[in-house]
Formats: sequence, C-alpha cells, structure tokens
Amino acid sequence: MAQFMLLLHSEPSGLMQLSPEEMQKALEKFMAWRVKPFTRDGHRLTDDSGRVMRSQGGQIRTTDGPYSETKEILGGYYTIEAADYDDAVRLAQDHPTLEYGGTIEVRQVWGT
Amino acid sequence: MVAHLTRLLGPAHLELAEETVQEAMLRALQTWPYQGVPENAGAWLFRVAHNIAIDALRRHRTLGEKTDAIVAELAHAAAVPDDPYLEDQLRDDELGLIFMCCHPQIPRDAQVALSLKTVGGFGVREIARAFLADDTTIAQRLVRAKRQIRDRRLTLDMPHGPELTERLDSVLEVVYFMFNEGYAAHVGEDLIRQDLCLEALRLGRLVAASSIAAPRVHALVALMALEAARLPARVDESGDLILLEHQDRSRWDDRLIAMGFHYFDRSMAGEDVSEYHVQAAIAATHARAADPQSRDWAMILDLYDQLLAMNASPVVALNRAVAVAKVRGAAEALEALEPLASDPKLRDYYLLLAVRGHLLLELGRNEEAAACFRTALECPCSEPERRFLRRKLGSTGFSA
Repeated sequence: MAQFMLLLHSEPSGLMQLSPEEMQKALEKFMAWRVKPFTRDGHRLTDDSGRVMRSQGGQIRTTDGPYSETKEILGGYYTIEAADYDDAVRLAQDHPTLEYGGTIEVRQVWGT
Repeated sequence: MVAHLTRLLGPAHLELAEETVQEAMLRALQTWPYQGVPENAGAWLFRVAHNIAIDALRRHRTLGEKTDAIVAELAHAAAVPDDPYLEDQLRDDELGLIFMCCHPQIPRDAQVALSLKTVGGFGVREIARAFLADDTTIAQRLVRAKRQIRDRRLTLDMPHGPELTERLDSVLEVVYFMFNEGYAAHVGEDLIRQDLCLEALRLGRLVAASSIAAPRVHALVALMALEAARLPARVDESGDLILLEHQDRSRWDDRLIAMGFHYFDRSMAGEDVSEYHVQAAIAATHARAADPQSRDWAMILDLYDQLLAMNASPVVALNRAVAVAKVRGAAEALEALEPLASDPKLRDYYLLLAVRGHLLLELGRNEEAAACFRTALECPCSEPERRFLRRKLGSTGFSA
C-alpha cells in the first residue's frame, strides 16, 4: 500500500457560520472519519498562514505564507494508505470537510 | 453551557454567552479531528469556553466595573471543572434559562425561537426552516426577545407560587410546539426534523427531573417518547411516508417506548388529567398493540372523544374521524368530517383532504376521491407527502 497525504484547506469563517448544534453534527462526522482503518496519522496546523522562505540574490527572504491573499488556510493533514490515486480519492471522497466548503489536496508520498 | 455562562455574565449578555460557546465548539472542530477527543471532552470545552469569555471581557470591558469580579468568577469556575455539584448546577442553569425564555413578556413565537437558539443550540437558519419563515424574520424575533430580557431585567431565577404554575404551562406548550414542529416538518424533503423532536424530549425530561415537575409534565414526556418511538418507522428506505397501519412495528424504538410507559405511569399520580394525559393514553394504546389488527380502536375513539371535549380543535376532530372510520366505518367518518370542510383553519391543510379522499376510496367513490387528492396536492406539503398523495391519486384510477 502506498501512502498519501491529504492536505485540508479551508476557511475557518465558513465553519463559524454553523450553529453549535450543527457544529456538533459536523464534529461527529469528522471524528468518524478520523478512525477509518486506512487513516494512519493526522495533525492540526496552527491557525495562521505560516512563513514562506526563499533566497533572493543570496539573501534569504521570509514572507507571510502563501495564502495571505485569501482567507483559506491549510488547517491540517492526514496520512492515509491507498493503492493508487484513484483509490485515495475514493477514500477521501466522504471526508466531511468537502461538505463544509473545504478542499483536499491529495499527494502521494514518494517511495511508498 | 450557554445557560451557565448566561448566569455568570448576566442575562443581558446572553449573546456573548452564545458566541463564546460557538467559538469553543469551533476550536473543538478544528482540533479534535486531527488530535483526537481529549480525555474529558466536557471539561475541555468548559475550560476553553471560560477562557474565551475571560478574553472577550478583558478586551472589551463589556461589563464595566463588574468585569474584574466576573472574570474572577469565570476563572474560578474554569479551574474546578470536576466540581461534584457542577452537573446539578448546569442542569439548574439550563432549567432557569428555558423558564426565562418562556417569560410571559416575550411573545410565544419568540419564546420558541429563543429556546431553540439558546438552550437547543440551533442556528437562525435551522429555526427559520422549522418555522417556514425566512432568516430575517427569525433573527428579528430573536433580537426583540433579547431586548425584552435586557429591558425588563429578566433573570434565571425560577418564579414562585401561581406564577410558577403559569410559567410551567407555558414551558410545556413551548416544548410540545417544538416537538410537533419537528414531527410534522412541512418543507421539501425534510420530512422529520428528528433533532427538534429529540431536543423537545430532552427538555421535557429536564423539567420532569426537577422538583417542580407535575403529573402533566410526565404525561407530556410520555406522549413525546411514544410518538418519537415511531419516527424510524414513519418513512421507508426511499424516504416515502408509511401510514401507521402499514408501519413495521419492529422498527419502532423500544427504548423510547419503554421510556414512554415509564413516564406514563408516573403521570398517573394525583388527580390532574391534562390534554397531555389523554394524548399520551392514545399513543400508549397504539404502542401496546402488537400488530395493526389488534389495535384497540374503540378505546382510541373513546379517548379522542375525551380530548375533543377538552379541546375542540379541528385537528383533534380530524384525528377523531380516522378512529370513527375504524370503529364505525368510512361512511360515518365521512359525516364526521363534514363540518370541518368549512373550517378556515383547515382550508389549506392537505391532511383533511387526504383523509377524505382515503374514505371516499374505501367507499368506492373513486372519482370524488381523485378530486380530493388533486386538491390536496395543491396545498403546502413536504415532498414525501406529495409523493404519497400522488400514489393515492394513482390508485383511484382517475389520475389522468
């Protein structure tokens, strides 16, 4: 089995529109997905856009993260096991973040 | 938790309490799916919510001079989340909040909306959907209700004496209204707003567990539990309506039925016979029958007669007519429906026409039945109800 990373991008303001009752429902869906047999690992990232570093004319330049233009942030990631991209996409299809306006970037881990 | 924070912050800051809980839930939603649920999830939320409230108070100094004292109180509450009395306190706070929401100074429709929002945690959009109203109407209703709370300095303190009895009735009406809204959801595919029903049931049990519970509180809980038990059997896999007599009895929720009978027994204490008692007795008679054939319709009709004597509502009369059909035949039931046809309250009520059509069909008057179903289809009703009516129309042989 190969390993894939699911990078979850979303706008926290979208979730803020939900009522506590709806949030509880959402939470149940997210939690149910977390314990699926193919999920290996997952981490939340902090609520900011991070930093981007690049070298310009021998100088390291550090700027705010790549998403500063939009409200969307990379909220966290999961590692899952899947046969190939098709399989990974299929497994990620019912991830609740999609229902709440988020996007998932699927990337295969090299050598797995 | 909203109730608890409302007590600490003061009812005038109900909104801040709500926002705080929402923010705490959002943090859980952003963290738990990756890191897992913390060992004591309740305490986690409790602590986070208190800290959010403290931050908000410090930042805006909303409460003026009282800020420091309240911050201290919040900090204290957050530090001891495993206080053995906390659960009792939270229950009392919630009870106090719903009694405040049902204060006579707040109009009925706002009472229900406010209870759903603050005690039930429902959003404006969800409430609007349950009431067939638009978001703005509900939002305005809530704003007005909150203004009443502020202007009249309402508190979470329980009323006393005759005022308590009156308020209790008002709370029960709100709870039952909430339940019915959920049970009879009218719009689109959303046939059963099960959440509303379960929230109403939860609130009913909350009141029933308190020291102010009267037999009619238990009767109401019994009624709601017995009716909610049938929810899973009311629609089939494709979401179509199934009539009571065709329901698969094994899909009724046994746990809720047991709960219903338990509360029904408790409701028998004392002399009090409320409408809730009679309705619970009807639901219990349905639940007691092992199969549709053995249902005691004579008893059910008798109970509907009692209910009609207590409350001469056209909807009760309509339900009674169904029992009449079972006991004395379709022709007599049709007669019983006659006076309802001119009732303005039932003018746009598809169920009256559906029942009439059903009876006509039984009497072999198919063409008239078809006309009934066709008119019923023009009334406001949910998508599954519409499909049900179309099926009935098809069975008349006059569908074209």
